[in-house]
Amino acid sequence: MVVAGRRKTIAFFIALGAGLILVTLLLYIGWVQLNWRHGVLLLLGLLLLAVLISGVVLNTIFLVREIRRNAQHDAFINAVTHELKTPVASIRLYLETLQTRAVDETKRQDFYRIMLNDSDRLLATIEQVLRTGRVGHARRIVNTPLDLDAVVEECLARARKLHHVESGSIAFLPGAPVTIMGDPEEIRAAVSNLVDNAIKYSGSDVSVTVETATVEGKFAAVRVTDHGPGIPKTELKQIFKRFYRVPGPLAARVKGTGLGLYIVRSVAKRHGGKAWAESEGPGRGSTFVLQFPLSRPAVAGER
Amino acid sequence: MSRVLVVEDEQHLADGLRFNLEAEGYDVQVADTGEAALHLLADPHAGFDVVVLDVMLPGKDGFSVMAEMRGAGQYIPTLILTARGHPDDVLKGFASGADDYLTKPFDLSILLARIGGLLRRRDWLRASASVTPPSPPPQDNFVFGDKSVDFVGLELKVRDQVFPLTLMEANVLRHLIEHEGKPVSRKKMLEEVWGLHEDTDTRAIDNFIVRLRRYLEKDPAHPDHLLTVRGVGYRFVANPPAAA
Repeated sequence: MVVAGRRKTIAFFIALGAGLILVTLLLYIGWVQLNWRHGVLLLLGLLLLAVLISGVVLNTIFLVREIRRNAQHDAFINAVTHELKTPVASIRLYLETLQTRAVDETKRQDFYRIMLNDSDRLLATIEQVLRTGRVGHARRIVNTPLDLDAVVEECLARARKLHHVESGSIAFLPGAPVTIMGDPEEIRAAVSNLVDNAIKYSGSDVSVTVETATVEGKFAAVRVTDHGPGIPKTELKQIFKRFYRVPGPLAARVKGTGLGLYIVRSVAKRHGGKAWAESEGPGRGSTFVLQFPLSRPAVAGER
Repeated sequence: MSRVLVVEDEQHLADGLRFNLEAEGYDVQVADTGEAALHLLADPHAGFDVVVLDVMLPGKDGFSVMAEMRGAGQYIPTLILTARGHPDDVLKGFASGADDYLTKPFDLSILLARIGGLLRRRDWLRASASVTPPSPPPQDNFVFGDKSVDFVGLELKVRDQVFPLTLMEANVLRHLIEHEGKPVSRKKMLEEVWGLHEDTDTRAIDNFIVRLRRYLEKDPAHPDHLLTVRGVGYRFVANPPAAA
């Protein structure tokens, strides 16, 4: 209902813009008929026409963008509310259960496991939100030499534990060992976000490949490939925007805040690298690439 | 045992709710999507007594599930249980047809009390409905002893005699028959048969009764079927005791 309302508003403003341009054109035609003998007046009219039309176009574009941004912000608030409150609700429910009912030992252990799991999830969301605030600023980052493969290994171990996936469903193909300079916490967060996404969007059949490689002797790249739902070509850039989630049933099925990829891109930029997505289209999986500059020339790294 | 349908896609919450509701003695079923819930509810033999409904579900959200349930004539008491606590969301929940709304995180005892409240309300409604059953749908015919009334053909048959009735005579008789055994006041008859609410002379009804008695009763001065209730009105008895 809300989405339909937003589309209507956008359509209204575009129609209004088109209508105003049409009126301006008609006025100019009138102007030409009145002053067709005076070249200077015609030129003046033409200039005015150009200014008016570009003003209307700019205004319409601005309005539509603002409406979209508002809608994304609303969706973000809803998603974060859900992601923060659901684990708290669950932990609270189990605590109250343990407090008020006689629970046998096996169930009790089950409940402890569930609560720990929920507190991990809660912490992950909190970190995501806090990190978004941090990476948004051009603060000077911690700069230490890092073994990229070791960082990736760490992230994969964490992801396997968090999502309870078999170790076989995530393959790691390390390239030549490389060292990059960066903030270990941020790089770990960026790689983890990519791996988490690959698992989350794969559904029940997880098959993810993570590779590291050296590119053109200047960059170290992490490639995360999944066989999930894929991404439409038009969305490949959009998904890195803050709060953005591809509209449709998938966004409802897979919970998320719309912050993960924004963090990935911000971290890459802060380290002088870049991040992008590749996909053959819906249903054909996707690959996310995170690229950092090497700390030393590749020759030294490969020695 | 009351049956509860929990519509919740978060596995942990669904399991926790199931554990607690079962401990309270409810029979619990969990649906993890709105579509699954609607499918379960569409089965007329499912017999759910109360529904606990989440809003942020994959696919159809809780508000549309709620609206579809009510649209399909399913009036099962429903509590919306959601993380969304903005006043607009609460209003939307009630507008879509919810009976109660509780935000997450919630107090377990309060959730259980609210579910209990919904069930209690439903039981009370059911109990009051069984004390005064809705008046049976109007019949075309009524047979008592050796007599029968045809409300459509406007005829009263007493043994082999046939008396034509006026529409009003038939309506008065039908009204008394529908309240068989119970005294009906003259005022009530005026209101319900004639649709009059002002203080008309209620004695007008007595003329109808006199005529009906003439058709029905063996001895109109000592009626068996259309009895006078002093100070109130009249009472219809279909099968008077033989001794009388």
